[in-house]
Amino acid sequence: MARGPSAAPVDRFPASPSRSVFPYVFGAVLLASVVFSLREAQVDPRRFVEGEALANVARFVRGAFPPKLSRDFLGLMARPALETIQISVMGTAIAVLIGLPLGLLATSSLTWRGILHERTSRSGRWTLGFVPYALSRATLSVLRSIPEYVWAFMFVRAVGLGPFPGVLAIGVAYGGMLGKVYSEILETMSPRPLETLHAAGAGKPGVILYGLVPQALPNVVAYTLYRWECAIRASAILGFVGAGGLGQQIELSMRMFQFDEVLTLLAILFALVAGVDWISGRIRARLA
Amino acid sequence: MYELRGIRKVFAGGEAALDGVSLAVGRGEHVAFVGPSGAGKTTLFRILNLTLRPTAGTLVLDGRDVAGLSDAELRRARTRIGTIYQRQNLVGRLRVVHNVLAGNLGRWSTATALASLVRPRGAEEAARALEQVGMPEKLWARTDELSGGQQQRVAIARVLVQNPDVILADEPVSSVDPSLAVTIVSLLRDLSHERRKTLLMNLHSVELALAYFPRIVGIRDGRIHFDLAPARVTRELLAELYAGHRDDELQLERLQDGTRPFGGACRPLPGFAE
Amino acid sequence: MARPAPARPARAFPLWAGAGFAALLVWSWHGTGVDPAALFGPEGLGQIAAYVRKLFPPDLSAHALRDAASGAVETFAISLIGSLLSVGIAAPLSLLATRTLLYRGILFEGRPPGPGARARRVALYAAGKATLRVLRTIPEIVWALIFVFMVGLGPFPGVLALGFHTGGVLGKLFGEVLEDVDPAPLEALQATGATRFQVLVYGVLPQALPQFVSYTLYRWEVNIRAAAMMGFVGAGGLGQRIHVAISLFHEHQLLTLILAIYLIVTLVDALSAYLRARLV
Repeated sequence: MARGPSAAPVDRFPASPSRSVFPYVFGAVLLASVVFSLREAQVDPRRFVEGEALANVARFVRGAFPPKLSRDFLGLMARPALETIQISVMGTAIAVLIGLPLGLLATSSLTWRGILHERTSRSGRWTLGFVPYALSRATLSVLRSIPEYVWAFMFVRAVGLGPFPGVLAIGVAYGGMLGKVYSEILETMSPRPLETLHAAGAGKPGVILYGLVPQALPNVVAYTLYRWECAIRASAILGFVGAGGLGQQIELSMRMFQFDEVLTLLAILFALVAGVDWISGRIRARLA
Repeated sequence: MYELRGIRKVFAGGEAALDGVSLAVGRGEHVAFVGPSGAGKTTLFRILNLTLRPTAGTLVLDGRDVAGLSDAELRRARTRIGTIYQRQNLVGRLRVVHNVLAGNLGRWSTATALASLVRPRGAEEAARALEQVGMPEKLWARTDELSGGQQQRVAIARVLVQNPDVILADEPVSSVDPSLAVTIVSLLRDLSHERRKTLLMNLHSVELALAYFPRIVGIRDGRIHFDLAPARVTRELLAELYAGHRDDELQLERLQDGTRPFGGACRPLPGFAE
Repeated sequence: MARPAPARPARAFPLWAGAGFAALLVWSWHGTGVDPAALFGPEGLGQIAAYVRKLFPPDLSAHALRDAASGAVETFAISLIGSLLSVGIAAPLSLLATRTLLYRGILFEGRPPGPGARARRVALYAAGKATLRVLRTIPEIVWALIFVFMVGLGPFPGVLALGFHTGGVLGKLFGEVLEDVDPAPLEALQATGATRFQVLVYGVLPQALPQFVSYTLYRWEVNIRAAAMMGFVGAGGLGQRIHVAISLFHEHQLLTLILAIYLIVTLVDALSAYLRARLV
């Protein structure tokens, strides 16, 4: 290729693009927060190599192998393993019970905005629509912003130890998440079928049943199943605050330095999670 | 340049896309490939630019069987072949300048390639290439903000930067309007002519092929149907080539009627006897 | 003249699936000792009401506020560094979890790896996937226990715990994104003679980056909640202070801390939503 002189007059070519300041501000803020957070979180990789750390790793690994597979221990652990599943199922069920009505109320197209409310008076929309809408959104936000283990802690105080507070904790925290996502799914549904049904004289329940539910159902079910997958992990964790399930056993074994038991329990958890993922994946594939 | 002997390509679980194609293309030659869609033209081009490996047969590039090339040699061979795709195959989220400079990747070291993403290396070169395709002002635009025709010209600019010995253009004008199609085809032909490059082009439009190329290869059902100078491509041959493909038959009728969608804008290239 | 109605097609979900689902619910109900009567009966409600009454009012003394603020800042720091660490773990591992970069797809059509090389690469892929699976199956809190045991108390083990668990989650997601990018631009880049690494940098990553950012922000939202929990096993943050407040029956202070969690979680959710809108 016969190239021109390499020192081409630079001004012939468009200069670099004019950029907004956002990338620079963002970069600076990110850098500052990272530096600050590194100090705040006392990040210090040297702690891996100094003192007892390496010896502790060795102790942990040596202690963990071989995992404890005695019949007694496995028999003893069957109960908490099953309990973990039960907590996740019941917790998700309660989450749906909480999330569905709140989610419907938190959907603006159902309560106060859009095609279904063209004929409603302004004050009617406000009192019957917007107020419940805002209230339910606020409730959902509180429910989901307080982590499930804090809920579990409080429910343990309120109803005592055992799996029941775990169920309530997952139900309440995940209810908040499900409600928010349900309302997001419903908001994005195509309004055209609703308009048609509305024009055909269908009342609100009819419009919801025939227009909204069929459109939204696959997404709603898929997201609920996804939450169930999260719930099985959560229910294993909640044991740490005394709410039953595998977590309680893991913490006990860890505290007593029985690492071979810890490994077995982790393997059980692994199997549970994989099983739930598989089932939920199968169902979602059928839905899609 | 190219020598193909009995090239056959069967995709997993499908029929043969190419079934015994033998062909020789000399250095600096301009060849148009025509034929109904699904005839295997695109597959042929993907074999010619060393993306796909033929199931059977030999592909000789400049006297060497490409099946015997090492990884590094294969990459070096690829740098000498520039491809323009039917879909532009650009990375939409990158700026135009990076997509154009990607033509250098075969020559660049990994470090240079990385550095260029931060501070484009040789932006003037990219600007020059864009100037040649008539849109220098788009150097810093984001590629996915351009229209289809503009993206096609970015793809051509990339090939200019790559500066290969062979240009393969796979239906480069199927997604642009007729006047732009003429511009792009003649641009590619003139550039290849100036720089003595081999130019192979798949064309949907028989009219463009006949007007711009001294050698026409008709492909049907994965086989070469004819390989002739345009003057000897008869109406009957074309009818056979497109038999059973309604859209293309309509195109032929228009050609016979003398309706010319490309407006007779075609100029013969000096140096090519017709 | 009445025609026979067309036969009803098979259901998407057969009846036995519904029955199984009902049985699962009943079994779980019994197993977990769900007792609405206890909860909503006069005694249960009374207990809850009494507990809620004990929480109010929140402790707004300077000392409690300072404690809550420093806990919130620490929690934020744990979540931020933990999330960044997880990206650092996920990004390299996700390359191993991407078949289209290792042994199949358009980058390998021209020259498929030989049987030996292919076997090695498949093994590499399997190892990458297995590592990611182990990382993400162990819950954050168990990682935290392990790291507390290794490096001692404080927020640092919390950072490590978040990084490892989330690294496994993000690695899987990143790998799926990488396998899903449009192969056409990759084909074009390869055809210019680019190496596989150059194709990765010029073709794969630019396409994948927005989703990487979006997934990372989403996991940050998850991590701020998790960071608030780490303290239960001695890994710093608000959790540790909550643990203390609950153990010592400092209910008013507990409510202050819960409010702090609510604030910091809401703040991170808003930040993440803003950044998602700006960056993606």
